[in-house]
Amino acid sequence: MFSASVWREPQIRRGGLVTLAIVLLALLGPWLAPHAATDMVGGVYGPPSGEAPLGHDFLGHDVVSRLLSGGVSILWMSLAAAAIALVLGTALGLLAGLSRQRLDQAITWLADVWLAFPDLILVLLIVSMLGRAPWLIVMTVAIAFTPGVIRLARGSAVAVASQEFVEAAQMMGFSRTRILLREILPNVLTPLLVHFGNMLTWGVGMLSGLSFLGYGVAPPAADWGLMINENQAGLLVQPWAVLAPALLIGVFAYGTNILAEGIARHSAGERK
Amino acid sequence: MPEPCATSHRLPAWLPWFIGRLGYGLLTAWVISLVVFIATQALPSDPARVILGPDAPLESIQTLREQLGLNRPILLQYLSWLGQVLHGDLGISLDSNQPVAGIILARFGNTLALLGGVLLVVVPLALSIGVSLALRRDSRLDRWALSALIFLKATPGFLLAIGLVLLFSMPQFSLLPAVSILDPDKHLWQQLEFLLLPILALSLSSLPYLARLVRASMIEALESDYVSAARLRGVPEWRIVWRHTLPNALVPAVQGVALTLRTLIGGALLAEVIFSYPGIGTQLNTAIQMRDLPLIQGVVLVITLGVVAINLLADLLTVLLTPRLRTARRVTLIQRNRRGIQSWWRRPAAKAP
Amino acid sequence: MPHEFSRRIFLGNSLAVGGGLLLGSSLLGGCDAGGPASSAAASARPGTPVHGGRLRVGIIDGDQAGNLDAHKPSGGGIIRGWALYSKFWEWNDDVSTRLGLAEFAEPNADASAWTIRIKPGLEFHHGKSIGADDMLFSILRLTDPKLASPFAGLVGAIDRQALRKLDERTIEIRFKQGRSFFPLDETLIAFGGIVPTDYDPVSNPVGAGPYRLKRFVPGQRALFSRFENYYKPNQPYADELEIIEFKDQVSRVAALRAGQIDIASGVQAEHSALLKADPRLQLVVSPTTSFSGFNLNTAKAPFQDERVRQAFRLLADRQELVGRGLNGFGRIANDLYSPTDPTYNHAIAQRPFDLDQARSLLRQAGQTDLRIELTTTANEINAALVFAQQAKKAGVQVKVTPVDASVFNGPQKEQWLMSPGSTPARGFLATGLHNDAPLAIYNRSNFRDERFSALFTQALGQPDLAQRKQLVHEAQAIQHQRGGLLIWGFTDVLDAASNKVGGLHGEQTTFASWRFDSLWLNHA
Repeated sequence: MFSASVWREPQIRRGGLVTLAIVLLALLGPWLAPHAATDMVGGVYGPPSGEAPLGHDFLGHDVVSRLLSGGVSILWMSLAAAAIALVLGTALGLLAGLSRQRLDQAITWLADVWLAFPDLILVLLIVSMLGRAPWLIVMTVAIAFTPGVIRLARGSAVAVASQEFVEAAQMMGFSRTRILLREILPNVLTPLLVHFGNMLTWGVGMLSGLSFLGYGVAPPAADWGLMINENQAGLLVQPWAVLAPALLIGVFAYGTNILAEGIARHSAGERK
Repeated sequence: MPEPCATSHRLPAWLPWFIGRLGYGLLTAWVISLVVFIATQALPSDPARVILGPDAPLESIQTLREQLGLNRPILLQYLSWLGQVLHGDLGISLDSNQPVAGIILARFGNTLALLGGVLLVVVPLALSIGVSLALRRDSRLDRWALSALIFLKATPGFLLAIGLVLLFSMPQFSLLPAVSILDPDKHLWQQLEFLLLPILALSLSSLPYLARLVRASMIEALESDYVSAARLRGVPEWRIVWRHTLPNALVPAVQGVALTLRTLIGGALLAEVIFSYPGIGTQLNTAIQMRDLPLIQGVVLVITLGVVAINLLADLLTVLLTPRLRTARRVTLIQRNRRGIQSWWRRPAAKAP
Repeated sequence: MPHEFSRRIFLGNSLAVGGGLLLGSSLLGGCDAGGPASSAAASARPGTPVHGGRLRVGIIDGDQAGNLDAHKPSGGGIIRGWALYSKFWEWNDDVSTRLGLAEFAEPNADASAWTIRIKPGLEFHHGKSIGADDMLFSILRLTDPKLASPFAGLVGAIDRQALRKLDERTIEIRFKQGRSFFPLDETLIAFGGIVPTDYDPVSNPVGAGPYRLKRFVPGQRALFSRFENYYKPNQPYADELEIIEFKDQVSRVAALRAGQIDIASGVQAEHSALLKADPRLQLVVSPTTSFSGFNLNTAKAPFQDERVRQAFRLLADRQELVGRGLNGFGRIANDLYSPTDPTYNHAIAQRPFDLDQARSLLRQAGQTDLRIELTTTANEINAALVFAQQAKKAGVQVKVTPVDASVFNGPQKEQWLMSPGSTPARGFLATGLHNDAPLAIYNRSNFRDERFSALFTQALGQPDLAQRKQLVHEAQAIQHQRGGLLIWGFTDVLDAASNKVGGLHGEQTTFASWRFDSLWLNHA
């Protein structure tokens, strides 16, 4: 599907680099951090200084250390949520697109109902009901994303299934599974991949928004979204404790988004 | 939209389709209300205890539970709630003892004003940006504008809002109130200054999607056969743009606006919390915190009905704006085409240049 | 942005107990001396009271919409009650009481009965004159089991059947089973608003307070107008009072600075420097004896073991808890409450911060690898996180679990193993009835000590100060030795207001900014 020409797409290069940088920062950060994320080393809302370039936060943690330790959670949670939604949604969407009328209608209707509900509110309701364990939050966000994937996968599958090469495969007597895996799946993969990138972007936004509302990762863990929440009171006193994590969230979302744009553009170019 | 139907007294062809859609939408709202009702029962809380407070003796709690009918089976409780709702009674808030309908009505108006303001800003802006970029396709301006739009799109909306609060709470920037404390004694339109920042924040985060959608559909329309044909016939360029391309580019924009509105309802929740704006989002957030079940159910119902209404309106507008669909004799044609439209606008990324 | 906010403000200030105004100014003096500071914590603003205008007060009510109930206030209802209702007594600046509506209120010799007579010619907002029936009705309503007010427990000793009307202005209160109850003033004053017999908290919320209700939008704002027949002549001063509810501190500070409100009641310490630097604002510090601490649930392992409770109290670095948990605005405490009460036992030495002894006590108790869950609300999480970090040094893993307020105060409220606790400044007996006394309204530590209960019950019935002192001294020795409360600090309350506001001054109570009858606005 992709060749080396992928890297000639500037958006893919740029998005890939930005995303990679953030991923490396999040993964290696905990080792690079001068202090543990929970160590209270400075004064409450201490201003930036030589030792602490971004100052200290609401309890006197080193903001740099918390930044370095706080990327992993949002990284794995947004990745996991997007991945689960992708798998679940693709499975259901292909099932709907290739099955007989009634199942198709049922799944489509379910996705419609689901979509009629604003996803942040759905997530808020579920998390407040079931608690804020990380895996629960991931599942909830994934569930909120799934109907979008279902529709996309179903739409692409229907479009592909009506094309000649699928009909040819059917006439040659290949099994449904084989047609599905060999012929259809590769052809719907690109739009799904683009959608995956978008879901990452939304996931980062939604997870940090949840943390901001106080429903996300629980303290004392370091998490970029949580940092915005807990330091909001000091916004006017020590803005770096809020701005720095906000900036990193923004950059991460930007990277994944550009990557998705690039893939979309690349595949559009190949089709021409 | 009046239909030039002089030849017959038949109802417009789209009416049966519309009624079908309406029923479908109401069905959706009903299913969601059922799911939410059952889900709120799972919230770890006891309404009787919420009302009476943590120190109430067990006997009083039991009495109240019976009075409220909380020890009946869930299905029965749901049916009685549904019966009330159909009579326009959403129950009494556990937290404030006020009728839920009244609370929601006041808040909903504020949120509608907010969303309306956003639309007023975003739709003209998106149209003009989208059209002018499409006409200057691949120019330097186009590339720069697209990058800026992508950057805006990627930034989570609540970060934009926090940035605005930060900016406007600085003494140097006291042009606009950083938070929205509406005076309930005055009409909303007498205190529009409180709306400006939330509208700005929400507009910034919803502009990119719409502007790019308009740009993409304009480009598609400009490349279409009938535009080439018109050019060959020597139709002036402004006429091509205004009379032939733009109306066609509007159709996907209508669906785009509907999608934007739907995501805005979620986004408005965060923006309302950040700006302390007394809308339906802040209300839902506090209702969840307080475990105020009747209020949660009421707010969710209203939001769901709102989304259903938005979708319905968008579909109707799409049909009315598309001549081929408007005059269609058969409902199936509308449905098939509508599906085509829908799967089209659900794929914004693939449409990206 | 003001980055000059100093980090060391809490060092050295934390021990300065009492001397309210002195403390306030010394705290602020530690911040930045260069800023255009207003006369922040200086005593009452000069000038004579000005009549008229609308006084707008911004309060934080969290997520609760709240109500107007005199006897069962929720959310901002307690603050609104200060405008709507008057009581037999009112609070002095030093948390003692003086007569309010009452012109006479005294217990008999053994405190088994109180006689209360109100001033003549008093009126409610709706014009009805106040009589003994209204007085009885108010007490009966507060203690009504059907109302289930959480604050009924404070006056749980009152015998509802034995209330008597002596004449049109006088009633007599007796206590259950012939018991004695001395601290009636301190316990009835808080939630004993006097309301008429036709009172209803929703449809007829009238009282005899300085302001009468004009309009109430739950969760948003309440508007009041001046009560012309208030029992204090010439007061209140403003024509209208508006209490505006905010969900968060940041937006309220923004509103204060933008002139959208005149008073911000109870501001966050984080914003003190910012507010002080604004020449249009005054910042008032009230060094209260409201305590901040943790409840160690003595009914559950490992806190059943006195040694573990001791160890926890030893491993708390109180200085740091005040510094980080209260941002320096407070003073350290000695696991005992009500230090301004004349019966307070000052002979008990301040418990030191002693990690070694804490470790050795834990070893003795066989709890070397202890894991504890600390359940808290989001509001009180800071001190919990600081304590968790401190406990780590003694080898104790404290897991902080934040829950919603509705869960925290829900059915499980006395089941939490460890939870934060705090009580506004009150005398010893009243505070005890909030916490660990027999029949206390919130006994989250489940402390039930036979000797302590006996002493406390005796003290409740002992009007004589010298004799009560002896009882309280012994009771406090027990609390200090084996109680279930880890009280690490006393909190300062910060109020901020526009310079146009007069009559606002620091005091030892928590409600300097709620005295609506003595605040005024230079509205001209």
